Amino acid sequence: MIGSFQYFRFSFREVAPTMNEVLKYVQSTGLDKEHPAVVFTENVLKKLDNLQGICGGYVIKKNEPVLPTEGVIKIDDFTLHVGKQISKCLEEASYIALFLCTAGPDFSNITRKLNHEGSWMESYLVDAIGSLTVEKAMNIIWHNLAESMDKEGLKISNRYSPGYCNWDVSDQKILFSLIGDNPTRVTLSETCLMLPVKSVSGIIGIGENLRRYKYGCEMCNNQTCIYRKIIHE
Amino acid sequence: MKSELLNKLFECVEFGKINLESPYPPQMKGLPGADEITRQALESGITPDEILNEALIAAMDKVGQKFSEKKIFVPQMLLSAKAMNVSMEHLKPYFADGSVKRKGVFILGTVFGDLHDIGKNLVGMMIEGAGWEVIDLGVDVKIDTFVNKVKEYPGSPVGISALLSTTMINIKPVIEAIKTVSPKTKVIVGGAPLSAEFAASIGADAYGKNPLEGIKWLESTYRS
Repeated sequence: MIGSFQYFRFSFREVAPTMNEVLKYVQSTGLDKEHPAVVFTENVLKKLDNLQGICGGYVIKKNEPVLPTEGVIKIDDFTLHVGKQISKCLEEASYIALFLCTAGPDFSNITRKLNHEGSWMESYLVDAIGSLTVEKAMNIIWHNLAESMDKEGLKISNRYSPGYCNWDVSDQKILFSLIGDNPTRVTLSETCLMLPVKSVSGIIGIGENLRRYKYGCEMCNNQTCIYRKIIHE
Repeated sequence: MKSELLNKLFECVEFGKINLESPYPPQMKGLPGADEITRQALESGITPDEILNEALIAAMDKVGQKFSEKKIFVPQMLLSAKAMNVSMEHLKPYFADGSVKRKGVFILGTVFGDLHDIGKNLVGMMIEGAGWEVIDLGVDVKIDTFVNKVKEYPGSPVGISALLSTTMINIKPVIEAIKTVSPKTKVIVGGAPLSAEFAASIGADAYGKNPLEGIKWLESTYRS
């Protein structure tokens, strides 16, 4: 199980969000079908069909036992300061899958071009499609991991990412060190921004007695979290 | 005639009817949009000031209100901003020759290390729609770039945004550098991970939770 980076590549069609998912994401399901946002989304989803560079994967490592009250995960002499909420959810994890997934650089290129042309709404919609695409690709990877582990009699947790549930984004550097060389071509800036921007990273717990905890704002009391602001305000 | 044209322009901006070709909204299909109506208004003798204040600023104010009340969302707001922008293109010569005065210059940028620009762009569009000249420095804006622009436009307010907890801390040295060269320059900050408390802790003069709050702060701070 512990080994090299498990690599996945996707065509856009495999991981493309639906029209309704895009409109829901931009809080615009109430728009009529003639609205330019709806018309553009419908057309651009077709045009993105040949998009390249959507890929991701994970590497599995042994989780060294630590008291959840310490709020850390220890792997290969590295310490990830995930916070008590996440460490509690991963208390029973014998292994940790460290993942990385990207929708590729094209989304940034397209949004930049559209912005430059003054097509701001269109740029915003392509950006939203990029966010949903990488999440859908990561969902497939997560399900693949779940199936593989199920064969071994193991369960897997939700996925947790730096920047959420009080896990500081600066830990990206350690996370990337642990993931090591991989074919995704995702890099990290000095400020821990992933490039291409439409990328996700994080950890998934693996264990025999792992419970899957509720994820989201219910388990987190961070009042300044980006998700909380978007979802609840 | 005058009020009819200004009302039509107001509607075009409110609903994002950019030009004659724009098929939306359906009830305005085949009718002139912000582009044509602005030209017509200028040709009929309506002053650029009247166009700006009675149609564009008023319409964007309504758009901002609808957005803050969650009656419309980002796509509609961006469409309105585009309609406003198209109209504003016709007014540019009058801004340039000084016959139309804007409320002031607002310097705007995403802090160095951060490449996110959707929120920043939205703020820029709304503030421009409120009658300000917006100088958008873009994303990943270095300290020196902010400082040089502050020197170029002394007294002009500055808006700085960040979307990551790792980049919001970069705002502090930018504010310090700005205040060193121009202690009276006021800085407003914004972005998803920020809060009013954080803004105060890094020496910002204000925190804008959304574009409308930013506009309100500008209006109250720079009321002439």
